[in-house]
Amino acid sequence: MIEEIVQAVVLLGLVASAVAIWRFKDLLAAAVSFGVFSFLLSLEFYLLQAPDVAIAEAGIGAGLTTAIYIVAIRATERTEEGSA
Amino acid sequence: MIEPWIPAVLVLVVLIALALVRLAAGPTAPDRVVALDVVNTLTIAAMILLAIAYGEVIFVDVAIVYALLSFVGTLYIAKYLGGDLP
Repeated sequence: MIEEIVQAVVLLGLVASAVAIWRFKDLLAAAVSFGVFSFLLSLEFYLLQAPDVAIAEAGIGAGLTTAIYIVAIRATERTEEGSA
Repeated sequence: MIEPWIPAVLVLVVLIALALVRLAAGPTAPDRVVALDVVNTLTIAAMILLAIAYGEVIFVDVAIVYALLSFVGTLYIAKYLGGDLP
């Protein structure tokens, strides 16, 4: 029973961070939100007892993708312009 | 005896949700980076508690990998905010 409550809170956090990625106009804040999303997703994989998938998600999502997003934001613009 | 590990994980997950409030409401980028770091550390603690709850030694290795990778990610963002990224 209580494991279902834990999973429900993690899944609500996933939805909240995904909405935050969608809403942020500051692209650095969106990249940080993506890091949080990736960490919560791997915690969910862990709760479903798939530790190898969780390791892959941590390596790709939290470590590599955030760093590559930072490199891309450095090379271009930091804020999203011209959109509503 | 009732096992206390899963309720402890529930407490940590609620704390992660409170850190998400700071992520959504933080006015500046460093506030959000600190929220990311808090979420990373609480996730590692939750994973170690779940490794005890499930009784699997191999699950602790995932937490070790996590601790390293979260440090690298936060360090990269901090170097960008500091302005001295090569």
